[in-house]
Amino acid sequence: MPTTDLLGRPTTEVEDELLELYRRCKALLAREDLAPCVRAGARVATVGLWNAVNDLALTSEQLLDLGA
Amino acid sequence: MGAGEYWNPKTETLGRDELTALQLAKLRRLCEWAAARSPFYQRSFREAGFDPGRLRTLDDLRRLPMLTREEWMASQGELPPFGRLPVAGREAAIRWHTTSGTTGREPIRVLDSAKDWAWQAEMWCYGLWGFGVRPADTAYVAFGYGSFIGFWGLHYGMEKMGVLNVPGGAQTTEGRVKQLVDFGATVVASTPTYALRLAQEAERLGVDLAASPVQRLILSGEPAGSIPQTKALIERLWGARAGDTAGMTEIGTIMIFECSHQPGGTHIIEDHYIEEVVDPASGEPVGYGEAGERVVTSFGRGIIPLVRYRTADLVTRVPSSRCSCGRGFDLYEGGILGRVDDMKLVRGTNVYPRAVEGIVREFPAVEEFQLLLTREGHFDRIALRVEPTPGVTDEAWADMAERLAKALAEAHEGLRFEVERAAPGELPRFELKARRTVDRRDTPIGG
Repeated sequence: MPTTDLLGRPTTEVEDELLELYRRCKALLAREDLAPCVRAGARVATVGLWNAVNDLALTSEQLLDLGA
Repeated sequence: MGAGEYWNPKTETLGRDELTALQLAKLRRLCEWAAARSPFYQRSFREAGFDPGRLRTLDDLRRLPMLTREEWMASQGELPPFGRLPVAGREAAIRWHTTSGTTGREPIRVLDSAKDWAWQAEMWCYGLWGFGVRPADTAYVAFGYGSFIGFWGLHYGMEKMGVLNVPGGAQTTEGRVKQLVDFGATVVASTPTYALRLAQEAERLGVDLAASPVQRLILSGEPAGSIPQTKALIERLWGARAGDTAGMTEIGTIMIFECSHQPGGTHIIEDHYIEEVVDPASGEPVGYGEAGERVVTSFGRGIIPLVRYRTADLVTRVPSSRCSCGRGFDLYEGGILGRVDDMKLVRGTNVYPRAVEGIVREFPAVEEFQLLLTREGHFDRIALRVEPTPGVTDEAWADMAERLAKALAEAHEGLRFEVERAAPGELPRFELKARRTVDRRDTPIGG
């Protein structure tokens, strides 16, 4: 299924991969059964990817409900 | 220009129409977030009859009231310590910072989540990369690392880029000069005033900074980073290029930066902010090339959404084509020109501290200075108090004072400045924001 960025442009292969990683990180962070060390690491990873997808105009959202 | 020149080639090179479309998409999300979560905006949007779902163009933003510092402070007073702007409390945050307090007013208190904090470092990366900082650099951050947000974001931005970072906190100026030389710093971050002070201290220690590996200075915290004479003096003393940036605690990071082309202005990071320039009196937008007040809307900080914040910064916006770097981001010509309330009226003549500094910095024997305004009866006096560099003889001082007074009078419709010599070490030194204008008139006229 084709994806577009906030400008309506088709996303590139790198952007698709980045978005997928970001979604998976968010899903992991949303779980309630994470050990503290895993939650902290997942939060750092999610925030790092958020900056990249936000910079590339792929999404614009807040992460506060995920504790970030 | 090669893509390697940009931190984010995709958005830094967008054309105006695309940038506007991106800003509108982000603005809708920001307003929806603020309307759903912030008690302050729920009320202000309701009172303005504003529905985020009906945002159609960026012009719709003007239907919203502007937020002033006074309103923010009042909100903090009503609901201490953070007021009604935040969408969450301290339990959601990982940082608590304040404004610098240099104005003597109650500081603004801000909170940041992990995501917000990372975004703030990201904004510095735009500026640092844009001025030519690269992972192979060694950066010395001449900053006190306190509750003032200052260069914290720069520090994390450097780390993110892979730069070897030396935190220069809790040091004397002498200690900092020795450290930055010993560690082989190639980049130094400080306020413009403190860059001058470091250079003076280096001279006293017999350290030739121009022969050191320092290639770039990242300046922030004061308008002086874009005053041509001050910038030229810093670049000469350090034998390095000086790049201006500007930010504010209210957004947590920088919103403008000077690129390596040094076009005489600072690019606005337009994929993360909407910057309006308005007439300070009427609030109506002014055009390219006209001076006005900055009003910022930030897409970055989640805990404290910021929509149409009146900054009181005086700027002149010019199109991106003014710079040859290829960015689509417009610029503020001359950076932050000052504050809208900076201007002093003295015996019917307008005096701008920035203009005075521009003249003073043409005199290399000035080590520190202060502009002092007093009133005797109905007569306003303006004095330039100068602390010359060590070794200036009485004869040399008399000549310098005469030339300074003449240059100042010529730039101010003949207004007579009394130029006074201050004793060594008498005038205050500054590590953060310099406060060189002291107005002691009981009832300042236009001040």
